[in-house]
Amino acid sequence: MSTVTLIASDELRLMRRNRVAVVAFALLVLLTLAAALISWAHQQSITETRARFQSQAAEEFEAQPDRHPHRMVHFGNFIFRPLGPLATFDSGVDAFTGNSMFLEGHRQNSANFGDVRQSSLLVRFGQLTPAFVLQVIAPLLLIFLGYGAVARERELGSLRQMLAQGVSGRALVMGKLLALGVVAALVGLPTMIAFLLIAGQPGALAGPMLVIALGYAAYLTLWAIIVILVSALVRRGRDALLALLALWTALVILLPRVAPDVATQAHALPTRLETDIAIAHDLHKLGDSHNPDDPFFKAFKEKTLRQYGVTRVEDLPVNYKGLLGMEGEKLTSGLFDDYADRSFAIQAAQSRMTDGFGIVSPAISLRQLSMAAAGTDLAGHRRFMTQAEAYRYDMVQRLNRLQADSVSYANDTAGDVGADQRKRISAGHWHDIPQFRFQPASAADLVKASLPGLSLLLAWLIIAALALLPVARHLQKARP
Amino acid sequence: MSPTTTGQRIILSDVNLSYGSHQVLRGLTLHVDAGEIYALLGGNGAGKSTTMSTLLGFARPDSGIVQIAGYNPTAEPDRAREQIAYVPENVALYDHLTARENTVYLLALAGRHPAPDAIDGAFEATGLQAAAWDKRLGGFSKGMRQKVAIAIALLREVPALLLDEPSSGLDPRATADFNRLVHDVARKGAAVLMVTHDLLSAADIADRIGFLEAGRIVDEASAQGDDRFDVRELHRKFAREVAAA
Repeated sequence: MSTVTLIASDELRLMRRNRVAVVAFALLVLLTLAAALISWAHQQSITETRARFQSQAAEEFEAQPDRHPHRMVHFGNFIFRPLGPLATFDSGVDAFTGNSMFLEGHRQNSANFGDVRQSSLLVRFGQLTPAFVLQVIAPLLLIFLGYGAVARERELGSLRQMLAQGVSGRALVMGKLLALGVVAALVGLPTMIAFLLIAGQPGALAGPMLVIALGYAAYLTLWAIIVILVSALVRRGRDALLALLALWTALVILLPRVAPDVATQAHALPTRLETDIAIAHDLHKLGDSHNPDDPFFKAFKEKTLRQYGVTRVEDLPVNYKGLLGMEGEKLTSGLFDDYADRSFAIQAAQSRMTDGFGIVSPAISLRQLSMAAAGTDLAGHRRFMTQAEAYRYDMVQRLNRLQADSVSYANDTAGDVGADQRKRISAGHWHDIPQFRFQPASAADLVKASLPGLSLLLAWLIIAALALLPVARHLQKARP
Repeated sequence: MSPTTTGQRIILSDVNLSYGSHQVLRGLTLHVDAGEIYALLGGNGAGKSTTMSTLLGFARPDSGIVQIAGYNPTAEPDRAREQIAYVPENVALYDHLTARENTVYLLALAGRHPAPDAIDGAFEATGLQAAAWDKRLGGFSKGMRQKVAIAIALLREVPALLLDEPSSGLDPRATADFNRLVHDVARKGAAVLMVTHDLLSAADIADRIGFLEAGRIVDEASAQGDDRFDVRELHRKFAREVAAA
């Protein structure tokens, strides 16, 4: 057995014989298991609920009787975002952004029913997911188990004695690091087992799972190095513990909460009210399709009549009101898209700034990597919103097209007793409208999105590992 | 440098060492032969600890020659340390380990893997009670800890043994036991250098006693005849050196 493994074995033996350490370790493993199970059950429940609601919404839409197509535009449709298997590991922003949308004509709604809005404020402090346990709690365990690894040898006087026996400072540091690395690996083991279970699920992607495993391994190794570094630098174990707790508080608790606040201040989003007012203002400027003197719609009408070679809308082979609805939807959708793009651009800038704080906090880098690889980051939310809007636009335009093609202008404008019946089209048309199918990001896209966080984490790891070298040399000169 | 073949296992020759502007060792010269016990006496600040640190390679002399069995602790600290068994004033053993586990672990770190019988033999030689061999060190007295440390030193079979204030805090009986052990180690051929305040203990086992003052040996006495040392005379010398310091 080499000197490094000897020292590591003894350190692990010390931990095994320390009841507090054993209990703390066992609790963390249990907590990770509990988090995996709770998160699994939660996500399963969400997935089932969403699938049930989605199916129910589709049934209700298709079960509508013969109707005027525009009534269906306003009847709308609910869609739900299905979660990928990795959301069990890291639910990301899903709890905050909402996961369902009501789609209707003339307006873009935002997602609703995020867990945070439906739960107590405590959810904001972090849901009990395996990701939360590994990001926040696991470093704390490594600190409590490892703060005295080197400082204790110095306090006891055994450091000098070991060095006097020919043990190098490097071997000592590597041995202690190996022991703490073994603890870190054991802490991550339940999650890796959960990963194996997730791997069997439909939609599980090997690439992102590998990146997540790599990222968390790098993060826990980094914390093991930080703990050993501090333990080797300070004279007393108590000082090492205080310094490490301060570091943990700053890097894992404070910065990940301060960073989004700073980003929100730097790139402020307009409030919902401001946006609504601005949109109403812009809509007004776009024109009023009901006003015969509106310049835009007057020009549209003339263009349409010219296109069909007629002089009156009554002579058009299609229902002009349907064409008008399509044009109006095109205009308003363009406007809504523009506002949505601007809003997402601001949110993306906030995300970039927050992720940039990963330079000073590895927890932020890990969070970015974890959410991106799990597909539960802002980009994943935007993917849902973009696809939802594309679906909404297609659905509304299909209904407007039905109005143009299947309801005559004469019937559509008639006000007699039987007109309402004549305006209706067969309910069979509702079945022809395809259901919403969310297309999750590809494995390559998820991996690519997680690379900035992974790169920062690896940079942290390399710098910390390099810092060990002078510290080990410094130990070699141990004074009593 | 290759190991020396001469009898001098520990050599300090005209060694000067300063910490900043404070010169601690001033031309210190001493040597300890194989099988010899050399006691280095000195008051506080005389340079005893620095001498020990220099031999262990923790302090780099400004000039002079330092050798442990032919190896320079500054240039070849690992090789030099392989030649040394070091027993500090407060023996640093691990409370979470038993006496046997401490011995196995610390020897393994030094590259030694003695058979269980050899460990039992070393414990017996030190007089450590058999009931304590497989007990954790949490409840061990300082004397018991020193016995374990000496057992480790015995098992290492190194040419040089460095003892730092070994009798400090020991009761007379434990001191006598300890002195007997050190004697046994020297009889097996090790050069023993002990730094101490304890004149009586030094007079009891040392073959030579050096008086260290302000970083150099100012007087030296050798054991002669059955009475070995004139303790009164030693005491006078020591008191004078301490007063001068």
